[in-house]
Amino acid sequence: MDPAEVEFLAEKEMVKIIPNFSLDKIYLIGGDLGPFNPGLPVEVPVWLALNLKQRQKCRIVPPEWMDTDKLEEIREQERKLDTFTPIPSPYYMELAKLLLNHSADNIPKADEIRTLVKDIWDTRVAKLRLSADSFISQQEAHAQLDNLTLMEINTTRSFLLDSLNYMYKLRSNLQPGRSQDY
Amino acid sequence: MPCERKPMRYGHSEGHTDVCFDDEGKCIVTCGSDGDVRIWESLDDDDPKSINVGEKVYSVALKNGKLVTAVSNNTVQIHTFPEGDPDGILTRFTTNANHVTFNSSGSRVAAGSSDFIVKIVEVVDSSQQKTLRGHDAPVLSVALDPSDEFLASSSCDGSVTVWSIESQTQVAQWKILQKSSDVSNAKSLCRLAWQPRSGKLLAIPVDLTIQLYDRNTWTHVSTLSGDLISQVVNVVVWSPCGKFLAAGTIGGNLLIWDVEAKLCIERQKHEKGFTVCGMAWHPSGGRIAYTDTEGCLGLLEGVSSLSSSSTAAAAKETNDYDDLFDEDDDRMLDEGMSDSRSPVKKPIMEDDDDDDDLMPATGRPRNRGSFLDDDDNSQDPGSVKLDGVPEEDGSSAILPAVGPAVSRPVYEGPMPTQPQRAFQPGSTPVHLMHRFMMWNSVGIVRGYNDDQDNAIDVEFHDTAIHHAMHLTNTLGHTMADLSQEAVLLACEGNNELASKIQCLHFSCWDTHKDWIVDLPKGEDVRALCLGQGWAAVATSALMVRLFSVGGVQKEIFSLPGDVVCMAGHGEQLLIVCHRGTGFDGDQALGIQLLQLGHKRRQVIHGEPLPLSRKSYLAWMDFTAEGTPCCIDSEGVVRMLNRTLGNMWTPVCNTRDSCKSKSDHYWVVGVHENPQQLRCIPCKGARYPPTLPRPAVAVLPFNLLYCQTTTEKGQMEEQYWRSVLFQNHYGFLSSSGYEIDSEGQSRAEKEQQELLMKMFALSCKLEREFRCVELAEMMTHSVVTLAIRYASRSRRMALAQRLSELALEKASQCQEEEQEEEEPAYQRPKTGFQLWLEENRKSILADNPDFEEMDVIKEGMGRFRTLSAEERLNWTERAKGDSDPKKRKREDEGQVDEQMESNEGSTKKKKPLDTSAKLSAFAFNKE
Repeated sequence: MDPAEVEFLAEKEMVKIIPNFSLDKIYLIGGDLGPFNPGLPVEVPVWLALNLKQRQKCRIVPPEWMDTDKLEEIREQERKLDTFTPIPSPYYMELAKLLLNHSADNIPKADEIRTLVKDIWDTRVAKLRLSADSFISQQEAHAQLDNLTLMEINTTRSFLLDSLNYMYKLRSNLQPGRSQDY
Repeated sequence: MPCERKPMRYGHSEGHTDVCFDDEGKCIVTCGSDGDVRIWESLDDDDPKSINVGEKVYSVALKNGKLVTAVSNNTVQIHTFPEGDPDGILTRFTTNANHVTFNSSGSRVAAGSSDFIVKIVEVVDSSQQKTLRGHDAPVLSVALDPSDEFLASSSCDGSVTVWSIESQTQVAQWKILQKSSDVSNAKSLCRLAWQPRSGKLLAIPVDLTIQLYDRNTWTHVSTLSGDLISQVVNVVVWSPCGKFLAAGTIGGNLLIWDVEAKLCIERQKHEKGFTVCGMAWHPSGGRIAYTDTEGCLGLLEGVSSLSSSSTAAAAKETNDYDDLFDEDDDRMLDEGMSDSRSPVKKPIMEDDDDDDDLMPATGRPRNRGSFLDDDDNSQDPGSVKLDGVPEEDGSSAILPAVGPAVSRPVYEGPMPTQPQRAFQPGSTPVHLMHRFMMWNSVGIVRGYNDDQDNAIDVEFHDTAIHHAMHLTNTLGHTMADLSQEAVLLACEGNNELASKIQCLHFSCWDTHKDWIVDLPKGEDVRALCLGQGWAAVATSALMVRLFSVGGVQKEIFSLPGDVVCMAGHGEQLLIVCHRGTGFDGDQALGIQLLQLGHKRRQVIHGEPLPLSRKSYLAWMDFTAEGTPCCIDSEGVVRMLNRTLGNMWTPVCNTRDSCKSKSDHYWVVGVHENPQQLRCIPCKGARYPPTLPRPAVAVLPFNLLYCQTTTEKGQMEEQYWRSVLFQNHYGFLSSSGYEIDSEGQSRAEKEQQELLMKMFALSCKLEREFRCVELAEMMTHSVVTLAIRYASRSRRMALAQRLSELALEKASQCQEEEQEEEEPAYQRPKTGFQLWLEENRKSILADNPDFEEMDVIKEGMGRFRTLSAEERLNWTERAKGDSDPKKRKREDEGQVDEQMESNEGSTKKKKPLDTSAKLSAFAFNKE
């Protein structure tokens, strides 16, 4: 999976928008959306929200967790604990990127939020690398990692799996050599 | 003699506040958790000077032009007064200071902090500090002895300690307070106070009492209490003369004692019962300013006259009936209601005696009878101006008047309420710098009035109506309304300029999109609204002026009282005005509903508008469907019930949805289909700020029916709600609007379903009488269902009664139908009539002067000339006239037949022919 695909999945998340047009319910395969009343918040998928935003048809209401105080709290928590803390949204990174890129004008303190999300991301990915390292160095058979988001798993999956495969190969090549030693 | 409590006014955002007077008593200085220090020239100063000193201010003290504040960045800062320029940092703590105070000369400042430390700093040289360590918990309050010898401090560790400033040691300590972990958890702020001048006594608020300790022996000399105090005392302050002690409690009680006589001479209650957290005595002793934890500022006026009369009484040690009476009165009021007002001050008689000149001017009731004032300051929270100190110095001002207090009759009846001011529904208060001038279903009008800019922003919810506009507000408009067609703005006049109305008619198709009208001199706009194609303006001359949206002046008419607000929708105009004087906090409002347009009439003729007790009107407008709807300050939403003789039905209480007591919902619109109450949740405020942009929330309606926890109550509520919210269909169709018939039938279906459910429920409960009652509300078709249900559940008696009811309903239905059909009723037409109808025109064309009879005769003649076949054809048509489809098909058949006969059959046409024949056959059979 490449990051674009994960982002595509993230676009299915619902977000609140305040439309500035009037439209009846629309019936889509994924479910009914609307009705759209000007000035009244309505929940739509991110892809639609961004599309409407680009056409200047709505204002996006940032999700509740996209708030400097809450994110700061999460960052502190993340730095304090060794394990991964639960994240308010399974697509926090993708949503933050999408919403901040396209509708920064609707999000108060957009720059701070960008930095905070990046900080959280860095902390988590660093933890992930660390745990992968200890996993390999201790030659464990399995490990459990909770509260990881799809994007985070995705960053390390291909590399980790490939390298484990190679190591396995190398080891199994080593095995017969060792057995000969006996 | 009771003192006068002025209405509270907004001072700061919610949270801890503190208050003090400047040295001359010209200004009140307050600080709040919004980080601002405000300097008020008087209580009704609409534009206090604000100085931002930090994120939060915990305490403020002022002396010799130095304003000292304890700020949340753990510092104690100095600002110059009254300029407000920063003048450096006095001292720092490791956490914030809770209380700062000056000594009597103003040379030293003491501060107590949450890091358990008390510091004493020289104002001129902040490096000269003394630190007092010894408390084991955050320090609540500090007080410097007037002779600069001692310092008293109270702390969360439960102790009150007196320190010697010189040696920095503890002189005395009393463990008399309740322990707590932090200032925020402490029951009381425990503000200490030394008796001014002598410093002989130290007053300490301890739980429900105030204990006085003697300076020389450090022993407890007396306790001021009273069975009247029911809450913990938060703040105590001495009067400048040192004879009186005022206290504020967490329940909002304000008490004043004569210390020598140990007599509680005055009791007042905060109008909302909020915690009093700051109190200050005016240097002349005439008034007390106080603040509460909700950020409001209040004033007690006429304290000195009170003290003088009561001291006189105390000195004479006679039974002063007046005083007793007052106390009794207060107690009674307090037991009765939490929000009592002290009776209006009785006028002071001039011929009393020559001691009159000893009474300070400030003690006079300045606005007793303000409710009779003209409307200019009708809603001003008191029109007190803080004067300078009277001619005499502070001590003489509160010298007791020696003359005996003559008891005079006190007016005890219900007290008149100040009539509420005119407002625009959907706007935030005018005194805000950034405010919503209008938020309605069309869009938002925002007004900015700060140093850089005086502008108005108009924004539409639906950008299809118009793009957003930015206007410079050179005229200083304060009122606005917005409709699909236009923006209407208005400003009040001043000495030079007349009051103006400006209309931006953006939907206009010519190039001149705006017009301005000046009102006659001395007449001011009070309220305005826009309807469809018209605008209405209510003025201070008790008039309503109607304009067309293009600027043509139309009708004017008078109002019976001062306008409160107006609303327009389509051709309806709603006016709320004062009907008279309300009493005991209630408003007396009357409402008029006018139908403009073709059939001009008054629908509601100034009838009283129902509001909750002690509340005022907060919002009034039409729902999107055109039903008047109002909301009072208690959050109760009421809607006009047109089918119940234009009564008002409460449909929702927004306060029920609030999480905390200080939260409010600011309503921006009501919709009946779907049932939505659109509002903006305001945390800890009545009004939303303009930034960050508030988001609209939707609240459901909830009729206040009994027992809505039970299934029965729930369904009853649902049923009547559905009925109520369906009323607008009837109104709309009767006034010729298109209606959403789908929605209407859906609502009717829902009601019938609910009735059926209720029927089933009462059936189950074996309440057969109730079943019949319910069935009476059902339509005929649903009653048959109900009969089936009853018979199936083996309730034959019920089924019997229901079938009687069904018969009755059926006959009623028929009668109604017949009545309806009577005028349209017609005998079946004959073929001739049908033919005549079609050919009447041609006959009339040939013979334009024919009478009806002649036409028929001529027609008869012509009809006879037709062939037999054709005549038969017409009769058949007449038979099938009831069903036009059939006739058409038959016509085709005929034509085809004719074609067949004329041209002979062709193979191509065969299939068509047979079908045509078949249909003709089928019809003939009929």
